[in-house]
Amino acid sequence: MKINDIPVIETDVLVIGGGTAGPMAAVTAKEQDPGLNVMLLEKANVKRSGAISMGMDGLNNAVVPGHATPEQYVKEITIANDGIVHQPALMAYATRSFPMIEKLDSWGVHFQKDETGDYDMKKVHHLGTYVLPMPEGHNVKKILYRRLRRNRVQIENRYTATRLLKDPDGKIAGMIGVNTRTAEPIIIRAKAVIMATGAAGRLGLPTSGYLFGTYENPANNGDGHAMAYHAGADLANLECFQVNPLLKDYNGPACAYVTGPLGGFTANAFGERFIECDYWSGQMMLEFFKELESGTGPVFLKLDHLAEETIQEIETVLHTNERPTRGRFHEGRDVNYRQRMVEMHISEVGFCSGHSASGVWTDETGATTVPGLYCAGDMASVAHNYMLGAFVYGQICGESAVEFVKSRSEPELDEDFIIRELERIQAPMKRADGIPPEQMEYKVRRLVNDYLQPPKVTKKMEIGLERILAVREDVPQLCARDPHELLRAMEVQSIIDCAEMAARASLYRTESRWGLYHYRVDFPDQDDGEWFYHSRLFKDEDGQMASGKRPIADYLVSLGEEKDAYRKMRVQKAANE
Amino acid sequence: MKTYDDPELQAIAVKLTSEDPGIRRVAVMDLVDSGEPEAVELVIQALNDPDTNVRQEAAKVVDEFEAADMADALIAALSDNDEVVRNSAAHALADLKDPAAAAPLLEALESSTDGFVVSGILRALKPLRNPGSQRPALKRLGDEDPRVRREAVAVIGWLKQPENLPALVETAQHDKDPEVRRAATGALVYASPQQVGQALIALLKDEHWQVRCEAANSIGKLDHQEAVQALMESTRDELWQVREKAVDALGKLGSTDAIPVLGECSKDAMSNLRKAAIGALGTIAHSDGRPFVVTALDDPDPDVRKLARWAISKLDAAA
Amino acid sequence: MPIANHHSSVPVIVDEDKCIADKGCTVCIDVCPLDVLWINEETGKAHMKYDECWYCMPCEADCPTDAVTVNIPYLLR
Repeated sequence: MKINDIPVIETDVLVIGGGTAGPMAAVTAKEQDPGLNVMLLEKANVKRSGAISMGMDGLNNAVVPGHATPEQYVKEITIANDGIVHQPALMAYATRSFPMIEKLDSWGVHFQKDETGDYDMKKVHHLGTYVLPMPEGHNVKKILYRRLRRNRVQIENRYTATRLLKDPDGKIAGMIGVNTRTAEPIIIRAKAVIMATGAAGRLGLPTSGYLFGTYENPANNGDGHAMAYHAGADLANLECFQVNPLLKDYNGPACAYVTGPLGGFTANAFGERFIECDYWSGQMMLEFFKELESGTGPVFLKLDHLAEETIQEIETVLHTNERPTRGRFHEGRDVNYRQRMVEMHISEVGFCSGHSASGVWTDETGATTVPGLYCAGDMASVAHNYMLGAFVYGQICGESAVEFVKSRSEPELDEDFIIRELERIQAPMKRADGIPPEQMEYKVRRLVNDYLQPPKVTKKMEIGLERILAVREDVPQLCARDPHELLRAMEVQSIIDCAEMAARASLYRTESRWGLYHYRVDFPDQDDGEWFYHSRLFKDEDGQMASGKRPIADYLVSLGEEKDAYRKMRVQKAANE
Repeated sequence: MKTYDDPELQAIAVKLTSEDPGIRRVAVMDLVDSGEPEAVELVIQALNDPDTNVRQEAAKVVDEFEAADMADALIAALSDNDEVVRNSAAHALADLKDPAAAAPLLEALESSTDGFVVSGILRALKPLRNPGSQRPALKRLGDEDPRVRREAVAVIGWLKQPENLPALVETAQHDKDPEVRRAATGALVYASPQQVGQALIALLKDEHWQVRCEAANSIGKLDHQEAVQALMESTRDELWQVREKAVDALGKLGSTDAIPVLGECSKDAMSNLRKAAIGALGTIAHSDGRPFVVTALDDPDPDVRKLARWAISKLDAAA
Repeated sequence: MPIANHHSSVPVIVDEDKCIADKGCTVCIDVCPLDVLWINEETGKAHMKYDECWYCMPCEADCPTDAVTVNIPYLLR
């Protein structure tokens, strides 16, 4: 079959995104049924793509028998997210967490073990023990790549997906995209699609002003969020922004999970601890933000009280894993962990369920609201998933997609839609002059910072939305001189979509929740009567962006006493004053 | 030259016969993208290339493959005259995790004398937990190279065999190298307190602080009740890191006798220690500890206050 | 609207004497998550064509000849 002379590629299961969850989904689908055609599409190269391109230095949410139970984990995450969670999805993660560690271990991923070969769990939080260091975790991507080859997953690198395709009956039918080096379009018909495109990390602008100096891998710019939206999928809790603590300007994680078990901590200008909140949450970020702005700020990573041997250990881990240029950054500023504290700051805003709870609505089977479309990793709405959650949900999606494909008839393609999308893809390169994608991106991301970054103010957000919509009007003027700029031109359109979603979702929830993540100055209180719901964001029948509420599914684990125990670990009413 | 059905692999095989070592090197890098099991043969071939750079490249990609039949080639590469090749081979061997690799590894161990090679082989044997590795590992505890002794300790620790405890205790107490002593001290946790308790108590006085920390840690894990007195002394160690571990262990042991010294620690200048002390008092949950916990409710450090609130709830529940 | 070009000091440096892109090596180009490294048509060697760097380092770590150096972008330094 050809459309506009472009051959249509056929596959059973298509995975979009080759970072963490994507490869696991693809490998799982093949393990389930080696006879299926499984294709993995990646905007960069699966060898080194996604959030863990240089590895990962530890698991933050390992639920290991003898150290924590799934029930306890579900409780803690529920509390950390102010109750707005889909517990069945958390439970699915928690029960599969340890088997996944065992699987990764058998594949050769290096987790820290004690001298007898048992997992060397570290207690960082006060209630449960969830941290498993990976000081030699730099080879994760290599191992995934090995598994992909071994299972004969078909890999297509350097293609970016631009839109999902649907059947007339509303089921997923495939996708359309474009090669980032040749600008050649690609049309794929698939019986099931798994999306794992990562966070929307190019939403806010980093304080350095460098467009690509983001907290998240900047290749993760929210393509998946935008595509899911346009395909009619529900998104959830997008107003629960991601804001993370980081090394100032460098914008990489400060790694409390690495330094904490070794005695390091986050301190104010006087070298004193100030964080009251126990679990990584918006509440913790609010305390961080307040300290930054206070007379005892800014905030630092304090290691200068540690022994030489310990500092060397920390340097080895931090300077070889995840974001290894950290050492070089410190060197350039003459910062030595032994002698002075390292300045920290907070990241630009983004959507990322790895650390917060927003994304494409995903249930415990990885399913979105579009039949045949599954979602895993930082873009899916399962709260606090981190790397291990991405693996677990990659696996769950792989299984679910294979099951779906069994009864799936041949998808029918909507040629008119495809032709219109081809025109949208080709438009920027047909224009000789106009607005370069970089300028448009800078503008919309600057607007996100100016108007949407918490503390959120209603009137400001309304202005922000108006200005973002005005940038959208400029899209027909986007021009690209080469295929690479075309990639950026397609990305900026996703960024504009995400910015509009961020504004509308934030305006919709008229309360404050999740600490800094959704801190509305003019609605300072949490309002469980009105807002104990997931917020929905979706495209309505008229093609307009709409909001709504989704009830919270019955809890599998009631909070009971633990809720109080956790409350005792918070400052009273710290939140919104 | 052997020919391959897969056209990409065939193209690589041809490039590997090039006169130009640069092209051979690039060919090795291309092997990584091949899903063909036969690619392993070409990796092995490249590991024996006359050009050092090609061998280095081959050694770097070996961990992209997972065939046990590469074990022999990797062991041979441990003796390569180039350090990069040797290192990569050692790492790749450790990742093999294939029980079938045990036999060739053990055989190679028998005949190896170079410290680097031996420690690489031991590292690879460790996760396999093969009973055959016990005897040679015990023997290597007496090796003159500390890297070898350290890996030998790990092999023995992972085997978890009671009959090896005397040797481990000996190493923990008397090895010249502190890292070897520390590792051996950590490995003792598979024993019962009767078997290693005395030794662990003695190790609380080791001259190196990391060994002392490890000893406190192991005592806590083993719940060795007779160590309370010694741990209490360790709460006055010159280094706060050791004091912290001793305090943690006292909490795990649930010792009410330790409450007064834990109380002292809860007033230490180092907040990490205060935190550990209040945590321990909460775990012990005895009313004698309450005054210290109450005082800590107003500690300047929020982590200490948090733990104090938690400890109060434990005390209330126990009351 | 006409378009102007502007200079930018880029963070990734390739030592052309060490680079073996002319032998067919494309490792740094392949592994870049942002696709900003390209072959320089004039020299046949790799270079940073677009100033869109995450200073993430696979290009440097995976380069077989240690020809690539990743610096921290000037705005962050």
